[in-house]
Amino acid sequence: MAGGFWTRFLAAPGLWLLCLFALPLTLTLAMSFGYVDEFGRAAYDSPFAPGALDNYADAFDPIYLPSLVRSVTYALGTTALCLAIGYPIAYYIARFGGRRKYLLIGLLVLPFFVNYLVRTYAWVALLSDEGLVNNALIDLGVTSQGIQMINTPWAVIGGLTYGYLVFMILPVFAALERMDPAVIEAGKDLYGNKLQTFLHVTLPQTRQGILAGSVLVFLPSVGDFVSATLLGGPNTFMVGNLIQDQFFAANNWPFGAALTVIMMIFLTIWMIGYLRAAAREARPAL
Amino acid sequence: MEIFDQRLNRRQTLQVGAGAVLAAYGLSACGSNDTRGEAKFVKPEIDGDLLIFNWAEYMDPLLKKSFSEKYGVEVNEVNFDNLEGMVIKLRQGGGPYDLIFPSGEYVSRLKLEGLLATFDRDSIPNSKGVNPYYDSPWYDEDSNHSMPYTYYTTGICWRNDLVTDMTGSWNDLTNPAGDGRMFILDDFQEAIGEANLLNGFELNTEDPDQIEQSKETLLEQKEFARGFSTNTVQNLATGAALIQQAWNGDVVNTRNQVSNPEDFSYETCKEGIPVGSDTMAIPNNARSPGTALLFINWILDPENAAQNVAWHGYPQPVEGGEQEFQKLVKEEPSIAVSIEELRDKELEFVFETPEGRQLWAETFVEVKAA
Repeated sequence: MAGGFWTRFLAAPGLWLLCLFALPLTLTLAMSFGYVDEFGRAAYDSPFAPGALDNYADAFDPIYLPSLVRSVTYALGTTALCLAIGYPIAYYIARFGGRRKYLLIGLLVLPFFVNYLVRTYAWVALLSDEGLVNNALIDLGVTSQGIQMINTPWAVIGGLTYGYLVFMILPVFAALERMDPAVIEAGKDLYGNKLQTFLHVTLPQTRQGILAGSVLVFLPSVGDFVSATLLGGPNTFMVGNLIQDQFFAANNWPFGAALTVIMMIFLTIWMIGYLRAAAREARPAL
Repeated sequence: MEIFDQRLNRRQTLQVGAGAVLAAYGLSACGSNDTRGEAKFVKPEIDGDLLIFNWAEYMDPLLKKSFSEKYGVEVNEVNFDNLEGMVIKLRQGGGPYDLIFPSGEYVSRLKLEGLLATFDRDSIPNSKGVNPYYDSPWYDEDSNHSMPYTYYTTGICWRNDLVTDMTGSWNDLTNPAGDGRMFILDDFQEAIGEANLLNGFELNTEDPDQIEQSKETLLEQKEFARGFSTNTVQNLATGAALIQQAWNGDVVNTRNQVSNPEDFSYETCKEGIPVGSDTMAIPNNARSPGTALLFINWILDPENAAQNVAWHGYPQPVEGGEQEFQKLVKEEPSIAVSIEELRDKELEFVFETPEGRQLWAETFVEVKAA
């Protein structure tokens, strides 16, 4: 009985998705129409109750615009940096890794077994005023006072880049792996120099991987709050911080939930843009 | 199971999912029902092991050990990193915790919400040593929901070897000597409060126009700031902060940790300074409330209080605790605080309305987001 098999096969993942994805999402949506009662407790409300949409109206207050612009800017910077660092690494491993290829990829992934928060704390130890980097600079005589690196936008972008770099390397590596090395030979046979061959042969062949990597880096970066919390300063407040503060500092869960829903819609738009681009890319190949 | 033998088509699958989601929605709507219970009355007697819910690094661990040895119970501690988070866990029935450490303002809220147990303060002998101010503090008039733990002032700590021209005003946060090396406490009450005082408003004003002005003040101060942070000791000890809005006990701690304590000064500002109390209270759903009350008595014991104050750096308004604190601060008298300062209620954080509290909290997030 084929139907019975497939129903059974999908029951566990279906239940998983229902409990850990659909229900929390529904609760978030329900909370976003709620209000804060006299004791400061969050209360749910119907989306049709008067004032149920106030949280959404508040979210479009221009005062929150800088946080959004900042988040998108940091995320774009992070994506660009991840590409600039991740592509050469992936290229080197895919082309010249030989039989140690998968060992090298394994080594790259290894640090990511450690929690992101803990890894970001390590960056605090590296970048702080009396941290390892500054002490090294002072010892080498590069500077006498040390340079303020932490509590700056650069530190936040650096933290994000480190945090999500592997999400760029893996898809680009996969795309390079799929590419037939013979096309590079062909490019050279057609009198392309190294740069031309790379630009006209390798890059277009790996565009899918770049696109996938960019989305995987960009989306979580926009919503990140850990990097800005630990490495940021007074002017690095991101949307993720805004949402976190609504829950744990301002005690306004309904508003935090509304911001979360808006953020999800915003990111979904980017995601759809990616899926369409990916579909367009895939078409000529069929 | 029968459900697995039926072949679900796509529409049915969606219906099951949507049904479950709607059920969740319905449940969530019921979940917000008011569940206030009668306050439990507690007597000091051993009724089980103890679970303490406290700020980190806020109690000498040896006191837990000695209590455990004397009474033959286990004493465990878990920590919160802000009071709002503590309340959230308490409401969800977490723990269940036997002893919590809310500030006075939080005691008044938790009491209203029916989350605190009551007790007769005369049933614990060491309550006799507590400063008479706490016979009837504003947040707990009958003094039967809480006992005081510590009290504190908020002022400015600064590096007297690197910063000059401090004027004893909240304006010193924008002293150019500390530009880019100044921290404001990441606490909406302290941040909005200092701006209110600087602007000459009442500390606890809930007037939206005044709060708006204080927001502008904070935005100007933010230009000089390196961050919003309550990691005072770390900021000062590592040299990241030259000027830091600070609780006095943290200044004591900083001076204890650095090799150059004489370089760290503390000032209380002429526009007024917030003062406050942290307390010990027993949640209504505590599993061992009797043990918790005995532990409160243990903390108020003169010798234990002295030992504890030497460890955490904050004054305790109880015999033994006061004297030890005076010893700690004799080289920097500005860190000292007197109970008389607590009597002037205007300088304690009190909210008249929940809306006012919300306005403060949201304004501070707006300052950070700008």
